[in-house]
Amino acid sequence: MSDGIERARALTLRYLLASTVIFFAAGVLGLLLRTSQADLGRLHPNFFYAVMTAHGLGAFVGWAGFACMGLSLWVLASVGFPLRRLGSALAGAAFWLMLAGVAGILVTTLLLNFGGSWVFLYPLPFHPAGQWGDATTALFSASVLVVGLSIIAWCGCILHTVLSPALHAVRPTLPNQLGLALGFGYLAPRRFATNPTAVPYAVIPLTVIGIDMIIATLPLAVLLVIMIIESAAPGVTVDPLLAKNILWFFGHPVVYLLLFPAAAVYYLLIPRYAKRPLVAAKVVAIAWAIAVVANVLVWAHHVYLDYPSGTQSGINTAMQPITFALTIPSALSLYSLFMTVYRSRFEWTAASTGLFLGLVGWLLAGLSGVVNATIAFDVVVHNTLWIVGHFHHMALLNIGLAIFGATYAFLPELTGKALYSDRLGKWHIWLTFLFGTAAFALWLVQGLEGAPRRFAVLPERYDTLTQATVPLLIIVALAQLLFAWNIVQTLRGKGGRYTQAQAEPAGAPAA
Amino acid sequence: MLESRVIGQTAIVIAVFYAVVVVLGAAVAIAVWRSTRRRDPDADTELLARREKAWFVITVALLAGLLFATIFFTPYGKSAPSNAQVVQVQGFQFGWLIEPSSIRAGVPVEFQLRSRDANHAFAVYNADDVLLFQVQVVPERTQKYVYTFKKPGTYEVLCFEYCGLDHDLMRATLEATP
Repeated sequence: MSDGIERARALTLRYLLASTVIFFAAGVLGLLLRTSQADLGRLHPNFFYAVMTAHGLGAFVGWAGFACMGLSLWVLASVGFPLRRLGSALAGAAFWLMLAGVAGILVTTLLLNFGGSWVFLYPLPFHPAGQWGDATTALFSASVLVVGLSIIAWCGCILHTVLSPALHAVRPTLPNQLGLALGFGYLAPRRFATNPTAVPYAVIPLTVIGIDMIIATLPLAVLLVIMIIESAAPGVTVDPLLAKNILWFFGHPVVYLLLFPAAAVYYLLIPRYAKRPLVAAKVVAIAWAIAVVANVLVWAHHVYLDYPSGTQSGINTAMQPITFALTIPSALSLYSLFMTVYRSRFEWTAASTGLFLGLVGWLLAGLSGVVNATIAFDVVVHNTLWIVGHFHHMALLNIGLAIFGATYAFLPELTGKALYSDRLGKWHIWLTFLFGTAAFALWLVQGLEGAPRRFAVLPERYDTLTQATVPLLIIVALAQLLFAWNIVQTLRGKGGRYTQAQAEPAGAPAA
Repeated sequence: MLESRVIGQTAIVIAVFYAVVVVLGAAVAIAVWRSTRRRDPDADTELLARREKAWFVITVALLAGLLFATIFFTPYGKSAPSNAQVVQVQGFQFGWLIEPSSIRAGVPVEFQLRSRDANHAFAVYNADDVLLFQVQVVPERTQKYVYTFKKPGTYEVLCFEYCGLDHDLMRATLEATP
């Protein structure tokens, strides 16, 4: 086993275990929010919003983002792109920066009462209504900044790993390698020639997000630095609308920090369980070429309602098709992945069931996302529980299931210990999918009824459905205990030893 | 539960649209799942890969169709007519100052919205609790939004952008007279 693969193995395991611990903590916080809304143990309003902030950042970045960052390392190693020394150092730095940032967020929210929400919409952090001080705002901003640095370090790791001899570029210049890693070899095979093997599909979405998250994170980092300065020097301020644009310039692409690595996981593992190469044509490369550009333009649909009049409202009209464009990589990826499964000898394990249901979650959540992207619809669902239903559907039932599936698939490879119980894993996956889908569907309905998001106490007319979601979410939460037990028992070696012969060799079948 | 509640027309369109696409999507997923029982190793994956181009064209066509079907219903960019009533709205932690708070139904209203502190959003419901419209209220800017209340009655205002401790208590009413 090469040093590069061993480095990837150790780091991936570390990322996976740390992010899973954060997942359980963030999940408990999420359950607290919903039981409080349902009047089953009402939290003090500011603590509710502090928990909401911790849950949002913890679950989204500290769990899903962190886990996807780690899984990416093993995906790359599995398709022939092991970590080199610099990449390994960057991944190691990203790990510790993420842990430090998440710890800072938890301290500033749960102990120091920062309740600005995960979007900390400027200038709210400086209008705390007596609930927290400027020093807390500075510490919170610094914590998020550290998370941002973690993401940038990880992007550096990904780009360093993919822009390597493993591309097998005939002309190994940097622009040529970059084009190859973005999949241009499928579009212009002569200009972007490789020998002897083509670039694995899983490399493409990781390269796209490695580039885009650097572009998307740097402006946010500047905003956070200014907020830290403002905490000490109140005369230093930022235009609130500019700040909001900067926030969403990061805030939407960061969704793809989760989704694109998840796509890479699907590209690797679905063919493995289907025992056939990924069914894909050149257009997949076109889709990712669209994504690399549209991804950093897509923030604008979050500010549709900030430009209701004047010439700026015209900008919205241009932003709708750009947002729609990002549907294309999802639509083509889903086609490829479903068709790879179609009439294959698909092996239904806990891992592959998680991945397949994750694809279903991707499809259903993507379709509710099309509603958000359509201005005429967005005016009704914006700022409502519809949005909450949409992104929980995307985060838990697409990306989450991909993470669970990949965990079941990779944990034996990473530890040398066989999975404790595949049956337990299937129970976990199905309970999460079924009851999660039901709960999030109710939020979609509440959103259509006009129920606002981010209310510690909702108007009474929404109480019935709010209370109806609680038992569903409790079952989802209990299902995660099966996941925890399975991981603990696997790590204890209760499933026996894992040998390579028990599974397909690492790496997807060649396209 | 949906049928016992009142939701707006656009919300109904969304519900129908989403229900239809979910049923179609679920049918595809189930069909793919069931197909794996057939275990046909000779499935023509080359053909399936070539058909991805057709799927690409279909996807673009569907998105273009949705774009043209909806873009003309974008409720923004309207200018106030000369007979519009002007209502000044100021959002603050945690309340609304609305001047005047009584307007005439059937006559366009131009809301001029400002914030004293954080971001807010001005969301208006009718007496049936149907969300009529919402608009962000951004500090250091005056937002303008034109809306015509068709029926007289009492309209409820909520804050739709999270703004701190008592965000959920930030409520007001508007009276529309005949």
